Amino acid sequence: MTRTARISWKLLLPLTAAAVLSAGVARAAYPERPITMIVPFAAGGPTDVVARIVAENMSRTLGQQIVVENVAGAGGTTGILRGAQSAPDGYTIMMGHMGTHGAAPAVYPELKYDPTKDFAPIGLAAGTPILVVARKDFPAKDLKEFVAYVKANSEKLNEAHAGVGSVSFTTCSLFNSLLGANPTRVVYRGTGPALNDLVAGQVDYMCDQIVNLVPQIQAGTIRAYGVALPARSPALPEVPTTVEGGLPEFQVSAWNAVFAPKGTPPEIVKKLSDALRKALADEGTRKRLLDLGGDVSNVAAQTPEGLQKLVESEVARWNKVLKATGQAK
Amino acid sequence: MSDLVPNLALGFSVAFSAQNVLLAFTGCLVGTLIGVLPGVGPIATITMLLPVTFGMEPTGAIIMLAGIYYGAQYGGSTTAILVNIPGEVTSVITTLDGHEMARQGRAGVALGVAAIGSFFAGTFATLVVAALAAPLVRVALLFGPAEYFALMVAGLAFAVVLARGSVPKAIAMILVGVLLSSVGTDLETGVERMTFGWAPLSDGIDFAVLAMGVFGFAEVLRNLDVNERRDVVKKPIGRLLPTRDDLRRSVAPILRGSLLGAALGILPGNGAVLGPFASYTLEKRIAKDPSRFGRGAIEGVAGPESANNAGAQTAFIPLLSLGIPPNAVMALMVGAMTIHGIVPGPLVMTKNPSLFWGVIASMWIGNLMLLVINLPMVGIWVRFLEVPYRLLFPAILLFSCIGIYSVNNSVSDVFLSAGFAVAGYALLKLGFETAPLLLGFVLGRLMEENMRRALAIARGDLAHIVQRPISAAFLALAVIVIAMAILPAVRKRREEVFVE
Amino acid sequence: MIARSLSPAGRGMSGEARQDPLVESVRGGGRVRSPRDLVAGASLVALAAFALWAGADLDTGQLRAVGPGMLPRAVAVLVGIAGLGLMVASFLKSGEALGRWALRGPVFVTLGVVAFGLTIRSPGLVVAGPLVVLVGGAASPEVRPRELAVFAVLVTAFCIGLFRYALGLPIPVLHLPGIFTL
Repeated sequence: MTRTARISWKLLLPLTAAAVLSAGVARAAYPERPITMIVPFAAGGPTDVVARIVAENMSRTLGQQIVVENVAGAGGTTGILRGAQSAPDGYTIMMGHMGTHGAAPAVYPELKYDPTKDFAPIGLAAGTPILVVARKDFPAKDLKEFVAYVKANSEKLNEAHAGVGSVSFTTCSLFNSLLGANPTRVVYRGTGPALNDLVAGQVDYMCDQIVNLVPQIQAGTIRAYGVALPARSPALPEVPTTVEGGLPEFQVSAWNAVFAPKGTPPEIVKKLSDALRKALADEGTRKRLLDLGGDVSNVAAQTPEGLQKLVESEVARWNKVLKATGQAK
Repeated sequence: MSDLVPNLALGFSVAFSAQNVLLAFTGCLVGTLIGVLPGVGPIATITMLLPVTFGMEPTGAIIMLAGIYYGAQYGGSTTAILVNIPGEVTSVITTLDGHEMARQGRAGVALGVAAIGSFFAGTFATLVVAALAAPLVRVALLFGPAEYFALMVAGLAFAVVLARGSVPKAIAMILVGVLLSSVGTDLETGVERMTFGWAPLSDGIDFAVLAMGVFGFAEVLRNLDVNERRDVVKKPIGRLLPTRDDLRRSVAPILRGSLLGAALGILPGNGAVLGPFASYTLEKRIAKDPSRFGRGAIEGVAGPESANNAGAQTAFIPLLSLGIPPNAVMALMVGAMTIHGIVPGPLVMTKNPSLFWGVIASMWIGNLMLLVINLPMVGIWVRFLEVPYRLLFPAILLFSCIGIYSVNNSVSDVFLSAGFAVAGYALLKLGFETAPLLLGFVLGRLMEENMRRALAIARGDLAHIVQRPISAAFLALAVIVIAMAILPAVRKRREEVFVE
Repeated sequence: MIARSLSPAGRGMSGEARQDPLVESVRGGGRVRSPRDLVAGASLVALAAFALWAGADLDTGQLRAVGPGMLPRAVAVLVGIAGLGLMVASFLKSGEALGRWALRGPVFVTLGVVAFGLTIRSPGLVVAGPLVVLVGGAASPEVRPRELAVFAVLVTAFCIGLFRYALGLPIPVLHLPGIFTL
């Protein structure tokens, strides 16, 4: 008995050591092939642009290409679902945002994933502040007048958005509910067409991410009434904040963050998270994000734990907002 | 306008730099090669190749991407003519007469005319963009949802005219296409329509999947059905390039097509899709012998292909002047520009003139490249048709499958297209044409979205929509076109009955 | 084999068969003068019914807030009407007979495409390519197996080279989970 035990012990130790080492080596070798980052929106949109900027830098740190794969649909939930169901080996990650990981549970009752449980959060990438914009001949000088006008005449107004579950939809739901407004909500296939009709004057107002709107505001084709931030955005210094305009409760950021499927090994999560933070600290990448109007100030949420907290609080927040407005089903 | 010449000069000086010429060439070449792959259209191609442009400076990157765009469009037309598989929505029209010409041994002529027509249309459109961008944008802004709805209805009416055989059956197919387009998640309410909870359908049916199944695969099945050797292959390939007579017949359609395409391409919201339709309808209507259409009429290739290309160029206008992309491909361009640090908008023209005019000038260069690349390649493409069909069609199957799979990396798409193949074959056996089905599919969704938008804005007031001048005009046009399509058909039916 | 010449009129997409003595118009079978149109019309009616059933729970909405069900239902009804019209016309106007529906072609092509779908993710194009070419190719009565096999390998290799390596399309070439990925 003892002899067998000794022999087995002799074999067991090196074998275990070899196994652990090789596993460690295999993990240390991550990534050995290109990583796919699922962006659940069409290419060219704000989330896609943020994703590509960040991914480019992360690719350099990790030594392997991060290939962006656009899987659009259902307000981003299709792509996120695919990501959530992928193998948790670190070779599939995804860029989620305020909609897919915040408002989605309230908007889609049959949502097949749980933002707070089915993911291994990596970190917040960049947020894009929300602006309230209107057609250029809208009868209001500033946010106060705008709010008053909307409150009084909301039934006659048309608000544009990019589809149930989109950022423009959820943020304007909050806006409308704060004002008690009840406009007709006109849906478009993406913010591009919506913006087009706003410029043309076919619709009255919209809540959207700053990225898309800066050039239009600068050219004067639409009017900006307020940016939903505590301080003015450097990309649009002439636009007052909602705090200044008398509507401090309207503070929203369309945040974009990187996630991995639940069960991704912690070492891989750490590697990705470090690469992400490095990208956000990099001068060039930061500048590109800031030029777009992006906001990289929420450093706390750039860690996995911080992001998890953000997701949980956002899910709760949007649940309350959307249920209150009756927009949630 | 008086600035036009100096601006163009600036543009050409930028675009003619050795590096940019090379980029334009590479873009066109790669775009054509990928566009030839059935099922892979410009969007997929640009998305795939976007990362390649990251290292380049912005103007060069946009030039290359634009080259890929035109190349992919042209590649799509090539497959449409050779094997009856439309690579892009706009190539569906090209299949009607283009493929017929191929079957008659005139593939080279079809390809040649398409290339030449596209070049002229592109040149014309480049001038339009350069000279008229700003005023045209204002026209485009007059189009609201009501106008688009009417325009799409007119488009559906045009689709009726495309019918080669029975008009009632064509109308039925258009309706079925519209019905199919509603499968998926409803944009406005988020409710799933007719998807039976099957996830791959929740974003609707992909055009490529439907086109491949109902057009491409079904065509293969139909050819296999024939109890004889494939004549097309055995027929001498004949001329590779158009004869003088061919060119003569094509001149007017090319001019008309360019005008139509350029005009419709400006409209944001995919107006460019209608260019080829409108051109084909017009040519068929004014032809001395309309029955030639659908049987290899060269005008049916020259006009639509020119409209196609002109529309693709003028689609840049809303992008360059307003900064608002009119369709998905342009949205990609916006993304590409943004990634490169240029945010497109109304001020790009003044803040970044070398980019603006450089892109416009390179449009023309891109068109030139296409001609240079494709005319010599006509011979190569046509040789493919000489491969015995028993080997050619499995190769088509393989290429198509790769194309379908690569659109969404989705296996269900492949299965769906197999299903559509069987359905398409059944449709053909029952005497239906599948081109109207595809057209109804494309236009149906656009029509419905705009209708609902218009009604929402008008608070349900139908009269309001009909009374607006532009939409009233298009609706009237639709009625006229349908009436003109049905009447002769009724007369012909009576003649046929007598003949039998 | 019946020779069929490509007349100048050519063959339109509707595949109107002009000829085939083997499948002449079936004059029997009552007063149905166009069996094909009867079946065509019936298929449309069936499709319309299916669509109406599939979309039964969709909200039609009102004009000022059109619901998701309005258009599908309206169009389905129109399709049904078109189908009925065709069926009626099939009794009044003579037309084509049903024709012979080949089985070999559709079966093999469909099987080939399905085989591709099943094998493309794993084991990958290396297997899926030859499969679709071989199985699909068997649909042709003129198939020459050995030639087809060689061709299958060649054309798959070409595709791999062109799409994966030259153009960078993310097609799975060889993916045996756990063992090997290319």
